[in-house]
Amino acid sequence: MIRFIDIHKAFGARTVLDGVSLDVDTGEVLYIVGNSGAGKSVLVKHLIGLLRPDSGRIELGGKEITWLTEHEFYAVRMQCAMVFQNSTLFDAMTLVENVALPYRKHFALKPAAARERALAKLDLVGMRSAADWLPGDIGDGLKKRVAIARALTLDPSYVIFDEPTTGLDPLAAAQVDDLIRSLKHDTGVTSIVVSHDLRSIFGVADRIAMIYQGKILIDGTPAEVRASRDPIIDQFFNGRADGPMKI
Amino acid sequence: MSAVSGFFASIGQAVLNLLRTFGGACLLLGRVIRSLFPPRFDVHETWRQLYHVGVRSAPIVAVTALFVGAIMVLQSAYFVKRTGATSLLGYGVGFTVFAEVGPILIGLMFSGRVGANNTAELGTMVVTEQVDALRALAIDPLRYLIVPRFIAMMLMLTLLMVLGDLFAIAGAALTSDALLGVDWRVLVANLIESKLLDELVMGVVKATTFGVAISCISCYFGLSVTGGALGVGRATNNSVVANATAIFMLDFVVGWIYSL
Amino acid sequence: MTSAASRVLAGVGRPVVGAWREARGLAGLFLDTFVAVARGRVRGREVVHQMYLVGNKSVPFVAITLAVLGLISVFQVATQIKQVIPDFTMLGAAFMQMMVREFAPTITGLMVATRVGSGIAAEIGSMVVTEQVDALRMSNADPVEYLLVPRTIAAAVMMLMLTIVGIICATIAGMLIARSGFDVSFKTFLNFQLLDAGDLALGGTKALAYGLAIPVIAGRAGLTARGGSAGVGRATTQAVVATSFAVIVLDFVISGVSYVVFGQ
Repeated sequence: MIRFIDIHKAFGARTVLDGVSLDVDTGEVLYIVGNSGAGKSVLVKHLIGLLRPDSGRIELGGKEITWLTEHEFYAVRMQCAMVFQNSTLFDAMTLVENVALPYRKHFALKPAAARERALAKLDLVGMRSAADWLPGDIGDGLKKRVAIARALTLDPSYVIFDEPTTGLDPLAAAQVDDLIRSLKHDTGVTSIVVSHDLRSIFGVADRIAMIYQGKILIDGTPAEVRASRDPIIDQFFNGRADGPMKI
Repeated sequence: MSAVSGFFASIGQAVLNLLRTFGGACLLLGRVIRSLFPPRFDVHETWRQLYHVGVRSAPIVAVTALFVGAIMVLQSAYFVKRTGATSLLGYGVGFTVFAEVGPILIGLMFSGRVGANNTAELGTMVVTEQVDALRALAIDPLRYLIVPRFIAMMLMLTLLMVLGDLFAIAGAALTSDALLGVDWRVLVANLIESKLLDELVMGVVKATTFGVAISCISCYFGLSVTGGALGVGRATNNSVVANATAIFMLDFVVGWIYSL
Repeated sequence: MTSAASRVLAGVGRPVVGAWREARGLAGLFLDTFVAVARGRVRGREVVHQMYLVGNKSVPFVAITLAVLGLISVFQVATQIKQVIPDFTMLGAAFMQMMVREFAPTITGLMVATRVGSGIAAEIGSMVVTEQVDALRMSNADPVEYLLVPRTIAAAVMMLMLTIVGIICATIAGMLIARSGFDVSFKTFLNFQLLDAGDLALGGTKALAYGLAIPVIAGRAGLTARGGSAGVGRATTQAVVATSFAVIVLDFVISGVSYVVFGQ
């Protein structure tokens, strides 16, 4: 169970989060949506300590984690993994070495043993055959899958996906959606997905929360969101260019 | 008058930038040193960096040293011809190369080949969020990225200084033989007789100091990159400029300490 | 041929072929630049702007480094003299001659290579990577003419200016330490008798040569950048190394020719 309680965050003169409160239930797939720059990525980065709020509280599994030090956050990050928007694989290593890195660093495994475990994770995402390639050799969609494999190495209870399908072609996007779905069914992992990809949102989410102008505009099941009469929600979820939304 | 005050203002600005960089690099150095006692850093990465830094910089340092020796002979030759003191050629060349010109030029080439590369690499990692990805995997970027590079660059530059001294002597010997008609054996014998061990050691100490400075400065600039591709280029630019300044400053400081 | 033998040959051959290709590309660029200057298609305002960027903005850096160099040199040499024959009368004269002939142009050249060389590569490199150079070609502007010619002219002129600034700063610094550390009066130090036209010509030629080489080499590194911020970083690194190395090689060549041909 994760709780964001009244989070405020500003960058200089620009207020990004203006009192965001959100709960994430264990085992669910929550989609955090909103326009570019709405603060979705900013919010989730607080969860693993890449950012600290100006005010507010964050609780993970009942413990407050808002002001932990960088070192204390390491324990949090073992529980809560993040798949970055740009996949951010390490260019200098092969794909299997990328996935093996957390095994070598955290479980002090020898290279051979780490490689075995890494190959198993690559198998989960269907990338085992490309294990010895470099990130530069593969496209964005495949990089994303390897990044997900790497995030799963520490067997986290929570996984954050930062815009997992942005910039992917429809087929690759569908495959990532499938992965996220199967994660929930196979491992019971709680997934927090930051996205503005409408098709993924309604296909995969258990719950949807929308950030607009620094606050949570709606927080409910896909059915509840579809049923909403709010003109802004209507405009966003129907993907219309004109309407009352201020961008 | 405004041109003159503008001149002083730009010097003042340069000094301020210098101090800010100096401060940042020193802080980084402090954190690196803390990770060395007790030693907690990625050993595998360190070996990898040692290999890459060495392979990357050895050829250019060797060739540069060759030329440096040759140039020093050519410059000293002018004096020697004028004063007729051919026996001093070995001493003159040896002294300048070991103590001053060698460390400075090898340091500068190392800064360009390795320092710039380091800043560019780290900067690219910052811009593409790879450093954040490391933190998200609960891996400390300092211990994984920075300390290995620090150790590798410091050790390598020290070793390369010795290598460079050898190649500089070779370049000097070749040039004196080919262009001055001074037999290279005479030059080398002259050199050895001159008992330049102190100068040699000082040069190597300078090299180690340069290695520390170059690694801290280049890592500092790499880690503080903002702004995409242009930011990386700019940081690399600033990094080599700062390295060059540091090399000259440290050259003076070490020389002065040695004279005490 | 056995596979081991062919691998060794390839290992030797590849860098040689690569170096040859690089040299050809570089020579081509030099030629293009000079042709453009000869054609007179030079944009005066851009040249002046570049002169400001290359020259004025490098002054503090050059001033500080050469002042420190002057300090170190005089300190080292004077310490040595003190131990051997404490006669400082020729200290200033010899110092200034070495500065003009060798150290001022070459160290200034290295500093400019470092600062301006990497700056040019960074700038042009990010233009290439963000496709701005392609856009230039689309608008019928030759990138060499547009980008490199102003920088080359500016650098050549400014290298001379900066070398002079360097000599002045080094001399002042040397003068000060000679006075405070070794009681050599300013008048004794400022001894121009060893300086002749040959020294000035040598120093001037070096400065000019460096100024012409640096932008072209750095420009080529920038123009061949590929691949996002990693590519820009790589181009910048390449520029620093190549320009610094070029300064050293040119120093050797010019010193060598000067000695062999002119006995200088």
